[in-house]
Amino acid sequence: MRYDSMGIILTGDENIAPLTDIRSSNALPIAGRYRIIDFVLSNMANSGITNVGIATTANYSSLMDHTHSGKPWDLDRKNQGLTILPPNLEKQNYGTIKGNIDVLEGIRDFIKRSHQTYVILCMSNMIYNGDFNEIIDAHIAKQADVTIAYKKLNTAGEDVLKRYTLLDINDDGRVTDIEVQPYYPKTSNGSMEIYVMEKALLEGIIDECSARGDVDFIKDALVKQLDGMRVYAHEFKGDLYKVDSLKTYYNASMSFLRAEKRNEFFNPERPIYTKTKDQSPTKYGDEAVTTNSFISDGCEIEGTVINSILSRGVKIAKGAVVQNSIIMQDSVIEEGVEINHVVFDKEVVITKGRKLIGQESYPLAIAKGTHI
Amino acid sequence: MVSKNCVAMILAGGQGSRLGALTKNVAKPAVPFGGKYRIIDFPLSNCVHSGIDTVGVLTQYEPLELNTYIGNGNPWDLDRSHGGAYVLPPYQSGESGEWYKGTANAIYQNLGFLEAFNPKNVLILSGDHIYKMHYGEMLRAHQEADAAITIAVMPVPWEEASRFGIMSTNEKGEITEFAEKPAEPKSNLASMGIYIFKYDVLKKYLTDDERDPGSENDFGKNIIPKMLANGEKMMSFTFEDYWKDVGTIHSLWEANMDLIGNEPEFELSNKHWIIYSRNYALMPQYIGENASVKDSTITEGCDIDGEIDHSVIFSAVKVGKGARIKDSVVMPGAVIGAGAVIEKSVIGPGAKIGANAKIGIDPPQEGNPYASKYCDHGIVLIGGDVEIADNANIIKESMVVAE
Repeated sequence: MRYDSMGIILTGDENIAPLTDIRSSNALPIAGRYRIIDFVLSNMANSGITNVGIATTANYSSLMDHTHSGKPWDLDRKNQGLTILPPNLEKQNYGTIKGNIDVLEGIRDFIKRSHQTYVILCMSNMIYNGDFNEIIDAHIAKQADVTIAYKKLNTAGEDVLKRYTLLDINDDGRVTDIEVQPYYPKTSNGSMEIYVMEKALLEGIIDECSARGDVDFIKDALVKQLDGMRVYAHEFKGDLYKVDSLKTYYNASMSFLRAEKRNEFFNPERPIYTKTKDQSPTKYGDEAVTTNSFISDGCEIEGTVINSILSRGVKIAKGAVVQNSIIMQDSVIEEGVEINHVVFDKEVVITKGRKLIGQESYPLAIAKGTHI
Repeated sequence: MVSKNCVAMILAGGQGSRLGALTKNVAKPAVPFGGKYRIIDFPLSNCVHSGIDTVGVLTQYEPLELNTYIGNGNPWDLDRSHGGAYVLPPYQSGESGEWYKGTANAIYQNLGFLEAFNPKNVLILSGDHIYKMHYGEMLRAHQEADAAITIAVMPVPWEEASRFGIMSTNEKGEITEFAEKPAEPKSNLASMGIYIFKYDVLKKYLTDDERDPGSENDFGKNIIPKMLANGEKMMSFTFEDYWKDVGTIHSLWEANMDLIGNEPEFELSNKHWIIYSRNYALMPQYIGENASVKDSTITEGCDIDGEIDHSVIFSAVKVGKGARIKDSVVMPGAVIGAGAVIEKSVIGPGAKIGANAKIGIDPPQEGNPYASKYCDHGIVLIGGDVEIADNANIIKESMVVAE
């Protein structure tokens, strides 16, 4: 157990319309039975962190429904465990959250009453399977003020790097410059937006920033004090996906059809936990054809499913052909339907004989509950 | 404490020796069933859906796996502050202490547990049947009739009636006669081994029975006949849905096969009567490039690259390229090598079948070293954790047990 550290997850809200119209992006279903938040929460649990707060901003009922008491992550504890922290709208910043400092200011009491020495602060839009002990230990060994986990994105193009916060690092591993989503990327060290620091330092940063009207933890607190503070970087060697658009969501999902990615992200030594639903096993009919697909329990497949990901309780009728698609919970694909490169949110019904074709470069996303 | 209207007691101590290698290290109620369940999930889930929140599970034979599985009862919503699931093993007390001698003695030894909840009624269940039943309806009928005991019965085909404990009833549903496996049955209503007793009646009969040195301390053999002889008010409650005793390898296989098909004999996907089970953190099933899956059920954690036809594949099973599995039951964590061919077999948990092995293809033969009286109707059982070598040939009606 990692009794010296507490976890804080900031649920930044990416716009992945129409999937995020009804829920914050961290609660987006992924890989069949999971939600995006499951990765960071499971990483916390697998790293032995037993005091985890999730700071929410908006649209968080789906998240609360999912995490519930924290039981699947063994975070339903008498002492501490999982705490969902709704936005604090009663302060002077009523109705508007201008930056993550506002969010942190809103959860000050939670931070204050936690008794751990260190805080590991994470954003919820990153998908990876990693051990936080490595970065906390590195932080302590370096006697750093702040340690940031990063991934070398050497093969990524400019369009990808532009979406990341990038770190300039010297030979000692010290961060010499930080650029948030720069137009012309100088380095390929992508921040995983995982920050380790002493709890007292975080409290100080919150105080100072809010007193000056500063709103951003990175741009206002870290960047301006790189000379004064010992900010170090710690390299993460595993795979990393940043899910911030429909395209990145689709590509990350589809990568799980490859064995090496499944083994990396769903490593049985560090399982990804999620809310369980007690669905019965999936039934395949006598005309079913299924290849290269990732399928959750409770589905009924009588048609053809190729290169696709099905969440729980999806029905594929006879003669329907589903290819390269992501179909979320309880959607129904009726007889003779043909779909390719689509993302169906929950409970979408596509009636007999319809066709819906997206493109690999532009998958077609359909909102929850749509009948076509 | 607030007294309970009804407490359930599940008799889960039996070895189930006719299941052969499957119950070598686990009690029968912990035997895997239906893809992601164990047999005991059925009575436990039925209890919760029937509004019974206090359940004692009486264990004796190989209890470790069963105890671990039940844990604090959380998967069935039976982790309660007042009530919940309790595992009740035999125990030592003062100078005495003994194993459970029979079904009635097992309950007798746990009268202290029942006393703590002071229930009005006690539901007695066995931990080895597959069915979905609303015990609440039976309890209501029992209380409305003000019966001393109500026994669940089901009509069975007349030609099979002599295999069961048969109840004769009058037009009011009162039980007038009971015969254990009668040669000439007078009725076709078979006892399902499900009883609701008034608690004070149960206590009295169990205490009297314990004093009788000639008694086998069994509900069917001793308690029920004694109550009939004493003229107690005994009601039947007829159940006409799916119910299966999975006491043999063939019946266990058959009950699994009953889950397959567009309109299966036994439907598990009803959202209003979910069968709960302990869930493990497993990925969704992956169906590979070379796979073909037809007329089957598959569950979480599987990695399938072979051909599956008319089979039940349990969680975290791996099936290699070119393997063919037909009419079979493959239990959790089994690994089927590439090119292996399997027909009408039960592959135990964690078993490993080598590449190109043949299981259950060739007809039974004299002198088969694996021949077993438990494997009839052509079935093959590969026990849990058994490793079958590459290219091995295991013929029909074989049972292979781990050493």
